[in-house]
Amino acid sequence: MVSDIHTTLEAVPPGKKARITGLDAGPGLATRLMQMGLTPGVEVEVISRNRGPILVKVRGVMIALSRGMAKKIFVKII
Amino acid sequence: MGDKKYNIIVAVAGNPNVGKSTLFNILTGKIAHVANWPGVTVERKEGEKVYKGRKIRFVDLPGTYGISATSLEEVIAREYIISGEPDVVLVLVDGTAPERTLYLPVQILELTPNVVIAITKSDLIHRVGIHIHVDKLEEILKVPVVEVSAIHGSGLRELLDAIIAVAEGRRRRKETLKIDYGGLEPFISEIEKIVRKSEILSEYPPRWLAIRLLEGDPRLEDIIRSRDGEDLLKNVRRVVEAVRRGIGKEPVELITTARFNYVDSVAREVVVRIRIEEKEGIFEKMVKHEVISIFVSSLLLISVFSIIFTLNSGFPLNLIFRLLGWMSIAEMLETYSIIGLMNELFNLLAGFLTQYLTELNTPSWLVSLLADGVISGVGSILSFLPLIILTFFLLSLLEDSGIAARLAYSFNSLLNKFGLSGRAIYPLVISLGCNVPGVLSSRAALEEEERVQIIISTPFVPCQARLIVILAFITTYFSSSIIQALVMFVIYLIALAIAMLTSLIIRRVLYGKSEPPLFLLEIPPIHKPSLKVVWWLTWDYSKHFLKKAGLIILSLSIATWFLLNYGPMGFATSPKDSFAAIIGKILTPFLSLYGISQEKAWMIGFALFQGLIAKEGLIESIAMLQGEGTSIKGALLALELTPVQAFSLLLLFTLYVPCIPTIASIKQEVSENKLVLIAVGLMLSIAIFLSLLVSTLLLWLWAG
Repeated sequence: MVSDIHTTLEAVPPGKKARITGLDAGPGLATRLMQMGLTPGVEVEVISRNRGPILVKVRGVMIALSRGMAKKIFVKII
Repeated sequence: MGDKKYNIIVAVAGNPNVGKSTLFNILTGKIAHVANWPGVTVERKEGEKVYKGRKIRFVDLPGTYGISATSLEEVIAREYIISGEPDVVLVLVDGTAPERTLYLPVQILELTPNVVIAITKSDLIHRVGIHIHVDKLEEILKVPVVEVSAIHGSGLRELLDAIIAVAEGRRRRKETLKIDYGGLEPFISEIEKIVRKSEILSEYPPRWLAIRLLEGDPRLEDIIRSRDGEDLLKNVRRVVEAVRRGIGKEPVELITTARFNYVDSVAREVVVRIRIEEKEGIFEKMVKHEVISIFVSSLLLISVFSIIFTLNSGFPLNLIFRLLGWMSIAEMLETYSIIGLMNELFNLLAGFLTQYLTELNTPSWLVSLLADGVISGVGSILSFLPLIILTFFLLSLLEDSGIAARLAYSFNSLLNKFGLSGRAIYPLVISLGCNVPGVLSSRAALEEEERVQIIISTPFVPCQARLIVILAFITTYFSSSIIQALVMFVIYLIALAIAMLTSLIIRRVLYGKSEPPLFLLEIPPIHKPSLKVVWWLTWDYSKHFLKKAGLIILSLSIATWFLLNYGPMGFATSPKDSFAAIIGKILTPFLSLYGISQEKAWMIGFALFQGLIAKEGLIESIAMLQGEGTSIKGALLALELTPVQAFSLLLLFTLYVPCIPTIASIKQEVSENKLVLIAVGLMLSIAIFLSLLVSTLLLWLWAG
């Protein structure tokens, strides 16, 4: 069964994949995120989620982002 | 308006971590020219290559993820590409992450058709299970694509051939790349029409301009405003509003997504990924566990600095050997420290010069100027150089291997407590070497607030020059090596705590922000660093020290020599009659608060002024004030300080102001005089308040 939960990247458990549905960031920050490959529609794999920043793999690249940042990224868990 | 000396000028663009420095180095062999980009202090490196009878000049653009002008680096890259100077833009794509890094060439192709794409790390591509169909990519993008490996040197000839072919018009795209933006197209053409009519920005391609204005581009908007284009902006805003109302989304999101969709569609056609289970290295495992990662990172940093400190002064290894009872090794470490050896060398040199010049009947004031002023001045710069180079070499090693990014990740939570993000670890650690590049590397911060926090707080971090001062004082005034180490530890702890608190207070009070800065950082795979690149980075950092500090220390030494040897009555026979004494006396009332006697206070007072210009000058001027031939230890002992005075003065010395070059870099980075004043005021008041407080408290405890 495919779960179909809309949430933010901050809440995705490690090992799970999610698809970005939107960004809630100002234009400058949004552009930065998107230039690093975090665009709506892309698949993101959460590598680790400890107390610190979240590690994700997107478009073949590992990216660390703070929880505050991850909360601004809406996703659908797949 | 290209340089006529060169047949071809190539701008080299690429993401950070794409292997740009390595390739640039291999292509050009050497750096021909290093300068700053106009108006900013971001470095511009150039190198040249003669190939098939053409002189090719390569200009290294700052590493960027795009050219949307979200950072200074992106503005520089974009404006150089548009300047008309480069004949070809060489864009690097990371062969191990093509899906992400193809974005930059696509964005650049929308701006200029004169592009050559180099796919880097070709030696690694197959090993990680990736195959890139180069011919197909050429066919789709209609520009030459070459796979290169900087490590093996393969593909470089093909790359140079492709560059020449594009520069000479044989393999060039006719026009810029047109991506289909779907539903946005009518809006784009509308802005394009407005832009064409106004002719305000005729140097930019109209379609590109239209897309950028739709996305929102503060830099372009500023340019338009400066050319009285308010009407144009108003019309653009009207269209942007129409998109928001009509489609219900931000144009920037729609456009970037469309661009990435295009990149994805290209990547799907040319990239095949075979799933190879990636082996996790020790570092990959480490970053996943927060506690382990902080532990390993701290251990790594502590070892790096132990190496540096030990080579510098023998400390702390000498202490360990002493405790183990290996006195001879400990003494050897102390005698053969870099600073010790360099000082020895320059003393010898000054001695020889004095003898030689005296034999030539050179006037004694000139002998004194050259030997005591110039040689000792140059000596004090050079005795620091090996140390500075070593510090930056080890740090560059961390940077180029990909470990630095993991340090930033590991320290994020800890630094969050002080209103900083993990990115601040780098400026902080560099500042342990020298505050000048520490302040400059504040640009690593994503947010402006964090950048200012870093700029104002890092100068509290004790640099190597202050380490010298601390070491000289503690070895003179504290006999037991355990107490020496303890005093040193406490001073570093206090200084670092103040740096962290300053940052937190600036964030909370000045900016009124309670949440920590956002953190976003690419974590590149760990790789073997290229020694060439490491050396290059090392040299970049060290140069700041050499250039800024070097000239200042040299002129300072000459000025000091003058102030010490001349007084209101002309040539002074004793330092007591010199200008230096008069200057030093200004601070006598202040220093008496520490219980320092009148006759000694002026020396410390003068040393404090000297320390403003360069901290290591502090010790030297005390030695010079005691007359020639006095050892540093002897000179410091002659100050007759109590341990309490020595400790509180050390706090004052460490905290008051790092040096003039650091202040100059602060000014350069914040460009707001108010902030510079805040920074200096903060340093002076904290240093004075804290050292007096400690002095009073300790004396009270002593008496009680």
